[in-house]
Amino acid sequence: MTSPIEAEDATASVALDEKPAAKTTAADAEAPVGRSPGQLMWMRFKRDRTGVVSAIVVILYFVIALLAPVIASLYGKNPYTLYAQEPEYPFLLDDFAMPTGSFGGVSGEFWFGVEPTLGRDVFTMLLYGMRTSLYMAVALTVLSVGTGVVIGMVSGYFGGKVDYWLGRITDFFLAFPSQLFFIAFMPVVTALFVSPTDETPTYLRAVAIILVMWFLGWMGMARLVRSSVLSLREREFVEAAKVSGASRWRIVRKEILPNIVTPILVQGTYMLPSAILSIAFLSFVGVGFVEPTPDWGRMFAIGAKIYEQDPAFMLFPGLALVIFVLAFNLLGDSVRDAFDPKTGR
Amino acid sequence: MKSIRTRSARAAIVALAAGSLVLTGCSGDNGNKNTKDQSKSKEDAAAQSKPVQYADAAGSTGPAKDVKGATPGGTINVYLQSDLTHLDPGQIYVSDAGQFSNLIHRKLTNYQEDAEGNLTVVGDIATDSGKSSDGGKTWTYTLKDGVKDEDGNVITSADVRHTIERLYSKVIFDGPSFVQTWLSGSDYRKALPDGPYKGKHLPDTVLETPDEKTVVFRFKKAQPDLPQALAMAGYAIVPEKQDTKEKYDKAPKALGPYKLVEYKAGKSMKLVKNTNWDPKTDAVRHQYVDGYDFSSTVEQASQTKRLIADQGEAKNAIQFTTSVDPAQIQDVVSDPKVNARTIKGYQPYVWQLNFNMDRVKDKKIRDAITYALPNAAIVQTDGGKYGGEIAGGLMAPTLPGYDPNYDPFGKQKKPNGDLAKAKELVKEAGVKPGTKISYAYSNTPRGQKQQVIIKDTLGKLGFDVQAKEIDSASFYEQIGKLNNGFDLYATGWGQDWSSPSTVITPVYDGSLIADGASNYSHINDAKVNELIQKALTEEPEQAAKTWEEAHHRIVEEINPAAPMYYSKQLQLFGSNVGGARYSTNSSYININDLFLKKP
Repeated sequence: MTSPIEAEDATASVALDEKPAAKTTAADAEAPVGRSPGQLMWMRFKRDRTGVVSAIVVILYFVIALLAPVIASLYGKNPYTLYAQEPEYPFLLDDFAMPTGSFGGVSGEFWFGVEPTLGRDVFTMLLYGMRTSLYMAVALTVLSVGTGVVIGMVSGYFGGKVDYWLGRITDFFLAFPSQLFFIAFMPVVTALFVSPTDETPTYLRAVAIILVMWFLGWMGMARLVRSSVLSLREREFVEAAKVSGASRWRIVRKEILPNIVTPILVQGTYMLPSAILSIAFLSFVGVGFVEPTPDWGRMFAIGAKIYEQDPAFMLFPGLALVIFVLAFNLLGDSVRDAFDPKTGR
Repeated sequence: MKSIRTRSARAAIVALAAGSLVLTGCSGDNGNKNTKDQSKSKEDAAAQSKPVQYADAAGSTGPAKDVKGATPGGTINVYLQSDLTHLDPGQIYVSDAGQFSNLIHRKLTNYQEDAEGNLTVVGDIATDSGKSSDGGKTWTYTLKDGVKDEDGNVITSADVRHTIERLYSKVIFDGPSFVQTWLSGSDYRKALPDGPYKGKHLPDTVLETPDEKTVVFRFKKAQPDLPQALAMAGYAIVPEKQDTKEKYDKAPKALGPYKLVEYKAGKSMKLVKNTNWDPKTDAVRHQYVDGYDFSSTVEQASQTKRLIADQGEAKNAIQFTTSVDPAQIQDVVSDPKVNARTIKGYQPYVWQLNFNMDRVKDKKIRDAITYALPNAAIVQTDGGKYGGEIAGGLMAPTLPGYDPNYDPFGKQKKPNGDLAKAKELVKEAGVKPGTKISYAYSNTPRGQKQQVIIKDTLGKLGFDVQAKEIDSASFYEQIGKLNNGFDLYATGWGQDWSSPSTVITPVYDGSLIADGASNYSHINDAKVNELIQKALTEEPEQAAKTWEEAHHRIVEEINPAAPMYYSKQLQLFGSNVGGARYSTNSSYININDLFLKKP
């Protein structure tokens, strides 16, 4: 993790900080050279063991997701083939369509076992499912954060009527019962784009999911950014920039944005795991991805039905998701602590 | 009759008791042995298949034969997933309400079932199963003495007339229409637009009631199946004085051994003994328990769990029309104690992959897909071996004339499909790789899984499959449209009574193609239509041959639908419930003989 604040910007903001003297003394006491807030954050972060471990786990997840096809081809299976039907695996499933082997059919051939009923490989389903979830969540988070930041900044910086109306619009969207809205609108959105007899392409489903969730996903960020901007825009360094004739765009970009990076980043790291959960939820209730797209939510849906007969099928995706969400949340905490040690626990 | 999940069986089924016994016997085994035992069960089932018998006056007199060890008293708890669709007899066409109807309603005729599951049509409120004359065109019924409704009114021929005539009015829209159509033609409603409610009646040339005790039906054509049709719940008696039109659907008056005393829509129902029911007039029903408590909010999975646990009130409980949750079948059959509390048999449904014949015109393609289908894998999506059995043809094992060895597509030898042969046929048909083929499926967990298998198989044949999910509630409505725009769709159909006429006619008769009709594949073959018309008027034995000829022509020469599997029945009941067995008539638990061992 590198600092999101470039050194030169950071120095500028430090120079404009209301208590420059205090900071310099603190830095002087630690080391002779001056450090930017970014460097300070990075130092503090490195000392936080939980944070580092979480970061490694999160990075590992992203790497695995990116390399899913490579891993799958090395492993020699894919998430689409119905292995129970292949002649080389005659006894994968028993009479009840459950895996024959113990613990969900875990074996050297199938590391995480076999899916009941259809006989697909759980390991690759999980890998590809992870890819689906992460890609979607990243796209969704970037979009929501972007929208939230823009609306929040405009609202906070301009104030007055603009703030009032944007605030009411945000309130309006916040008032939607989001999960019910997702369930009701997912089929509508997909139906908008596809002829009733054609199959809905997977990319379109993905776009529809992102659209629907983006639509109701930006308000928290907008509120947060607005309040931060409100408190910043009356500060002396902004006034000074105004007096010295800086354009609005420059003030927003160079004076305000660098100072709200911290809350944005922290909020963003919380939004990503919750986006993964929401996407999984959509597939769980049957309006997200459908067969045969590998997806964690659907794996949970199947697992929930058969957890008594085949607990292993619930275990692997469950563990994977719990670990990821936990690691990402802890990472979010650590990032916040590192940026702003005063609010530490 | 459509699939289980939508509209289903008022079914009459020919014996498979032996089949279910064998299944019970082999359930402890695992793996390879089962396949052998299963084929044995099929042979036994075939040996048991006998046509339905019609009983005379002696056979129709009550009381019904006592069930061994039966003790009176107690209340049976009944688990339902959702409310019954209708309580008004005229509206009842769906299996759950049909099963319920047997407890409170009575009909002109009824099915009597012996311990082996052989069916006899007996007179219910009539003295016998019906006397036909004039070559089957005229049927005469005489009513028994002492049949009363729950308020003590004696049932007369006027009530029977009223029962039939009210089916002509707009009050009734969901029930079967066989008898009305036979009496007055397919636009029968025009013959008596307001039913009997405005003082008009059917002429004596159609329905005659010469005295209080006699009813005469006069048809234009011979109707040899009339006694079986009248045994459907949809033709149960509604007394003229008690008819409240639309309101009757919520508060019906009982003629049978139990009456409805409490009905909370969507929640519960309570039945108690009907004191005006005289066991001497009834050759089929018993009145052992004091009543039935229905709870209509118990999900399938939870029903199964409660009954497996067998604690408290579940000891006195039965599954009514729900079967065991497919995911829990293993838990049920692998525990001998639980397995002893199951009833097993066939459901009357054949699940088939229909080809839209307006779009898939080349028989070679249809054959190729039929050969390629991995039926064994498809059965796995519906609970595996205990949920279904690979189908060879399009006639269910519950129909007379079912031939277990009929397997024109070699599914017994290659349960996972014959891809090589299929590919050859596709090549002969000259299908370019990447040809689009649209497949519509009902968006349920099972539908999604079947979609994966079917899409995978068709993909191997070189098709570009456009799988389109349809909301499960409107699935039959959408594919029932003539211009539905899909090439393939899977449906399930079961008989209304145990005659191929209730399967082959509605599903394969080309003259019945219409929006919303059940000829989903739009097959219209002159020879098949001709054979159907011929069989409909023939005597049972001769008709059986004609039906077989029609069936073979449909499957082999036209192939409008690839057979997938016959679905099976598996239901649980509590340990204190006695007299429980599979009913070949309803294909559910036999509701007439139940009692509590320790009331």
